Amino acid sequence: MADVMRDTFARTMHEVGVADPDLLVLVGDISHFALQPFAQACPGRFYNVGILEPTIVSMSAGLASLGLHTVTHTIAPFLIERSLEQIKLDFCYQGIGGTLITVGSAFDYATLGCSHHCYDDISLLRGLPNTEIVYPASPVEFTRLFADTYRNGRLTYFRLPKETHGVDFAEADIVLGKGLRVRPGSDVTLAACGPQLRTALAAADRLAARGIAAEVLYFPTLKPFDGELLAASVARTRRLVCIEEHVEFGGLGDVALRAARHVAGLKSDFLFIPDAFQRGYGTYEEHCRALGFTPENLAARAAALCADTAGESA
Amino acid sequence: MEQPACASADSDNKPTGMTRLPSTPIINQDLRRRIVDLVTHGKGGHIPSAFSIVDIIATLYGQVLRFNPERPRDENRDYFILSKGHGCAALYAVLHRHGFLSGAQMENYLGFDGILGGHPDRTKVPGAEASTGSLGHGLPFSLGIALGLKVRKRCNKVVTLVGDGECHEGTVWESALVAQNLGLGNLCCIVDYNGSAAQILPHPDIAAQWRAFGWQVREVDGHDPAAIADAVKPFMAAGNDGAPTAIVAHTVKGRGVSFMESHGPWHHRIPNLEEYAAIMKELE
Repeated sequence: MADVMRDTFARTMHEVGVADPDLLVLVGDISHFALQPFAQACPGRFYNVGILEPTIVSMSAGLASLGLHTVTHTIAPFLIERSLEQIKLDFCYQGIGGTLITVGSAFDYATLGCSHHCYDDISLLRGLPNTEIVYPASPVEFTRLFADTYRNGRLTYFRLPKETHGVDFAEADIVLGKGLRVRPGSDVTLAACGPQLRTALAAADRLAARGIAAEVLYFPTLKPFDGELLAASVARTRRLVCIEEHVEFGGLGDVALRAARHVAGLKSDFLFIPDAFQRGYGTYEEHCRALGFTPENLAARAAALCADTAGESA
Repeated sequence: MEQPACASADSDNKPTGMTRLPSTPIINQDLRRRIVDLVTHGKGGHIPSAFSIVDIIATLYGQVLRFNPERPRDENRDYFILSKGHGCAALYAVLHRHGFLSGAQMENYLGFDGILGGHPDRTKVPGAEASTGSLGHGLPFSLGIALGLKVRKRCNKVVTLVGDGECHEGTVWESALVAQNLGLGNLCCIVDYNGSAAQILPHPDIAAQWRAFGWQVREVDGHDPAAIADAVKPFMAAGNDGAPTAIVAHTVKGRGVSFMESHGPWHHRIPNLEEYAAIMKELE
């Protein structure tokens, strides 16, 4: 199966690495075949360090303290949850910049169970100063935002999903900290991140068939967050539904609601991974269905907000 | 890639623009008094831990490392990382002695707006190469510095000081394995072997452990400046490739004050007036 985002990552390392002799890539025994073009073109700058993620993170910070640009890559639970203290103390507190890139966030490794799931990573890193959080679900988002961040002196986390959302954005529209209005509407705002943009757009089609104009917003960056775009949208629609492959704490829903706090009469609903471990196996799609991450459910939740007009005239 | 710096590195180990202030037992007694003053007046700190390592740090700065207090981030400097950050009073005393820190900064130790906290902070302290405190971070961070120096084809050396209790941390041994595999001959790890680990979880033979990980190992009296310098100098003179160096420094926690020695109640205790007087009398 194609792994579009991982392939884009590997290709970008090659392209950027050839031009920038300060780029180093360190991996925890994943993606080493995909990264061979970089390894071959940039000898001495690719390290498949081993299966010792906290050490890889501290080591990356030490490298970056010399002004080198490090990219540290492995599976999300091992890089973010297991190595959180190393991220906090060795990168963030010391004001050292670098890039963390994961695959396997949320339930992308659907069959592998809890040890290989990670749905609190955004929350964990949002709480650390000097971090940026990027969640690109199309190639151009990654290439643009990596180029803009990898040497900006901050720690940038790229959460690479297995699935893409299928929308082709213009490179010029991709800006760190900026969301995108993918579809205009006036009745309800659907806010999405990651591959769930696809779900949001399909839900908007269903809502349109019922005479409800849904505005679809997409946020490739979770920190910094484009609160202005969100607030401006819900100031018009007064209704907000967020969808994200993340726990309810500290993800898109939290930050969106904070951005919309001044909108009077706001009605809101949230689709997220509930406060329970996901114990099923199967496929990514089966997990999505079990969690209600479907166009049908999202449209129904949005339509319910639109139907509930109680108190609107007050 | 930058020009290799080996040719410009100070080959006779003199610090750039500085007169060396050597480490001797008498001078190090003065550093111990400084440590006691810091902790007593600051009302916080780990005196016995600092006494355990002060001879090592004083010797590194007095006889071994290349540095420039006027430019703490001088590109030709060697790197010293105090991984057991709670012993930082010893580092502060040495950095003060060598001109990195002013008297006013020392007097504001643990002050809210001071730069000298209970653990060293790279973002505040001139000469501190890493912010440490949580054990098990200094060696992997140093490993990154050592690798980065090689990537940049530089000949600076990296010396890290860890505690023997800290050697319970898995990241120490993860790093030991990685450093050996990467051939980081520019990395030296000194183990402050004062028996702290033995209070909880003894290492059967810590020198053998490092040796088993492929490091060059030396053992030394960690309170003998001449012996410490002799143990480190071969590492300083060697090339950057090959096995990294581990030096097991046999030390005594609280060394220098009889009633503080060993693993009793003084680990994080602040002397009262009577105790302060008794400590200073022993350090005369």
